[in-house]
Amino acid sequence: MKDIDRLDAALRPLARVTPGTPPAGASGAGARSLLATILAEDPAREPSDAAARPRPARRYPVRRFALGAAAAAAIATGIVAGPGLLSGATPSYAVSKDADGVVYVTIRDFTDPGGLRRQLRDLDVPAIVDYAPPGRWCREPRGEHVADIPAGLYSVPENIPGEEHGNGWRMRIDTKLFRPGETFVWTISDNSTSTILMRGPVSPCVLIPSTNNMIRTMPPSLPPELDKVATHVATVKGGSLAGFRVDEKTVGEVLPELRRRGLRVEFVLMAIAQGNPGGYGVLGVRKKPVGDDWIVWEANEDRPSNGVVQLLVTKERYDRNPVYAGPRDAIIKE
Amino acid sequence: MDPPVADPRPARFEAVYRETYGLITAYAARRCDSPQDAADVVAETFTIAWRRLDDLPPGPEALLWLYGVARNVLANHRRGEARRRARDTELDAEMADLYAARPDGGVELGAIAEAFRALPGDDRELLALVAWEGLDRAEVARVLGVSRNAVRVRLHRARRRLARALATAGVPTTESRLVPTERSL
Repeated sequence: MKDIDRLDAALRPLARVTPGTPPAGASGAGARSLLATILAEDPAREPSDAAARPRPARRYPVRRFALGAAAAAAIATGIVAGPGLLSGATPSYAVSKDADGVVYVTIRDFTDPGGLRRQLRDLDVPAIVDYAPPGRWCREPRGEHVADIPAGLYSVPENIPGEEHGNGWRMRIDTKLFRPGETFVWTISDNSTSTILMRGPVSPCVLIPSTNNMIRTMPPSLPPELDKVATHVATVKGGSLAGFRVDEKTVGEVLPELRRRGLRVEFVLMAIAQGNPGGYGVLGVRKKPVGDDWIVWEANEDRPSNGVVQLLVTKERYDRNPVYAGPRDAIIKE
Repeated sequence: MDPPVADPRPARFEAVYRETYGLITAYAARRCDSPQDAADVVAETFTIAWRRLDDLPPGPEALLWLYGVARNVLANHRRGEARRRARDTELDAEMADLYAARPDGGVELGAIAEAFRALPGDDRELLALVAWEGLDRAEVARVLGVSRNAVRVRLHRARRRLARALATAGVPTTESRLVPTERSL
């Protein structure tokens, strides 16, 4: 046996790629391009008839932050367009503070903001919390938006540890970083939450009719593009692109599959804040093609589908997926 | 518009592709003299896999099946019959990275390489599948489409020939008892 081992050992160094080393990933540009080329080719035979029937839509806690018009300059507004936050789980919220002034806000249900408001106050978090019922939103402006938000003041909402599949999320706030006169203004509705850092006096929430909560929180100069963004992920079970991943591919790699499935395409031009903190803004939604080398981060659609899939794209490649503030796999498990 | 019918095939193929791409790439790179050839083999192998997706076995067997396809593709390339695939030069570039890291082992390794290259092609492939891809006898049998017993016998012979060649070349890697005795793997 030893002789055989020695023979193998003698041969191993001859291998151009050393045996046992981790294999090259399939994520390189060449590998992805090859995959797209192959998939664009119709295999000779018909697709098998094990076609998945559309399943009931399921929504995922996609972290969609709406950014202000000067998106790259500062995140003045954070909107979590999440799933229905009416999960009914208890406790509906929890706030805890550790010794160095970091507060964790855990939210599962926003229908009773009073308790959250009181707890934040007890923990010395300068915050205002308002609940906007369906179809209503607080009239803007309520105060001066802080443009230079201290780095690390608050985190992108993340999954509640141990409840990765739940609807709730957790957010980290470093209370040491608030400057005098600053207030965290939260507006909560059934399906979105905006968190805006304001300076100076903040006027009370005056509810006004709203067809789309997110638009209302935008600075007036921002076109209401967010209204045009479809809200369902198209690449999950039951979606028009079920079984086909688009995240981190190029537009050129994704379009053949859309054509194959007979889908029309729109492009959502994403704005990414400096440092790609997670979340994105929307610069525009258009039918006009973008470059094949643009990067796709997710595909959205209306549900039920109207045959249009929106590709969420950026011109540059980023180190992590802005839609999920990291890999899609960390958020969507199926 | 009717709800689109989801085709599970691309997803299945993509999953296999992600799982095996690196290993197939390494397989090709170890056997081709140029990155371009290796890129051709990888591209052709996966193209065939896509066309023959229904034949692709599930689970870990998929890799062995792909090795078998790659081996045939490689053989065709060596016979000069394969058409060169139109493809992105990026794949060539990625392959070139693998080639840049080629081990260069001095005189002794050169002698081993020479002895190895002098073996018949079938011997080389058997020995390489074991030493480079780390396959066991049953897996080698799958790749080559022969019985385990045939693998055992051929492997034994291949090793004996290699050992002799190394002994002739005076490679001192194996102490005195270089020639394997009759033993199973």
